[in-house]
Amino acid sequence: MKLLAGLGLTLLLLPAVTFAVSSWKIVPASSHITFTATQNGAPVTGEFQSFMGEIQGEPTDLKDSHVKIAVDINSVKTSDGDVASTLKTTDWFDSTDFSQAVFTADKFTQTGKNTYTATGTLTMRGETRPVILSFVLNDYSDKSFDVTGKTTLKRTAFGVGQGDWSKTDAIKDDVLVEFTLKASKA
Amino acid sequence: MLLKNTQTQYGIVAKSIHWFMALLIIGMLILGLYMADLPISEEKLQLYGIHKEFGLLILMLVIFRITWRIGNIVPLLPSTIPTWQKFAAHAVHWMLYGFMFALPITGWLMTSAAGLPPSFFGLFTLPSILSPNPVWLKLLENIHSWLAYGLIATFGAHVGAALKHHFINKDDVLRRML
Repeated sequence: MKLLAGLGLTLLLLPAVTFAVSSWKIVPASSHITFTATQNGAPVTGEFQSFMGEIQGEPTDLKDSHVKIAVDINSVKTSDGDVASTLKTTDWFDSTDFSQAVFTADKFTQTGKNTYTATGTLTMRGETRPVILSFVLNDYSDKSFDVTGKTTLKRTAFGVGQGDWSKTDAIKDDVLVEFTLKASKA
Repeated sequence: MLLKNTQTQYGIVAKSIHWFMALLIIGMLILGLYMADLPISEEKLQLYGIHKEFGLLILMLVIFRITWRIGNIVPLLPSTIPTWQKFAAHAVHWMLYGFMFALPITGWLMTSAAGLPPSFFGLFTLPSILSPNPVWLKLLENIHSWLAYGLIATFGAHVGAALKHHFINKDDVLRRML
C-alpha cells in the first residue's frame, strides 16, 4: 500500500518535473529581429520592431527546452518608408490577413562551446516551413541570458513576393534574418 | 587624329568622352523622367537600380573628363564670334559640368537617405554618405528633379548654339567636336 501510494505520488509529480525548466521573459529594449534582403545586387535592411515570445529551457536541459516567437508583421520598419508600406501589401507579407509570423522550436542541439542550433518551423503568410536557426549563447546566468543568431530564409517558399515580385532577379530569394534576444527569468 | 586637343580641334579623348557622355546623359534623362512616375513594381525597382549605377558611372567619367580638360588646351572659338557669345558658350559649358557633378551627387545622397545603396554593376556596393532620413530624401528628390530640368534647358541651349553655328553661321564650331 505504502509502495503504491509512493508510486502514485511520483506519477503525480512527473509532469511537474518534466516542466521544471525555467521560463524566460524577453526584454524588448535589448531584443531585435532584423532582416537583410538583396535588391539590384545591394543589401536592403529592415526590422520587426514588435514580437512576443514564450521561452522555456536552459542549456543543461536542451531536450525539454521550447521556444515560440510571434512576430508582429505590421511592425516592419525600413529606412525608406515606401519599402515598409510595400512590404505590408498583399503582394508581400499581406499583413492584414497574416498579421503574425510564428516560429516554434523544440529541438535544440549544441554545436560548440556556446553555439547551438534550434530546429523548428516558421509559419508566415499562411505557409509553414521547417527552419533551422543557429545562435550563440553570449551570456547565461540563472537570472538572464542573451543570444545572437541568424538563419537564411527563401522568401518565395512563404509566398512573400507575389506576381512579378516572385521573380528573383531584382530581389533575391534568400533573406538573411538576424536576431538578438535578451531574456530575464520569469 | 590626335589624342590631345589642339587650338583648332578637339582630340580623340575629348571627342569620345563628349559623345559617349552625351548618349549616357540623354538616356538617363529619359529613364529618370519615365521611371519616377511609375507605380511601385519590380520593373520600377530594376530601372532605379540601372539609373543609380549609370549615374555613378557618369560621376566617374566627369571626374576624368574635367581632369583631362584642365590638362589640355581648349580649341579657340572663331574670332568672328561676339564677346557675349563667347562668354555664353563658356558659361553653358561650365553649367553643364556643374550638372554632371550635381546630378549624380544628389542621386547618391538620395539613395543614401533612402537607405537603398546601389550596386555598381555587381562590382561593389556604393557606401552611404548620409544617414537614412525621409525629410532629407523628399528635399533631395526635389533638388534632383529641378537639376534635371535645369540640365535639359542648358543642354537645349548648347545643342541649339552648335546647330546654329553649323547651319546658319557655317563655321567650324560643331566640326571641332566631330
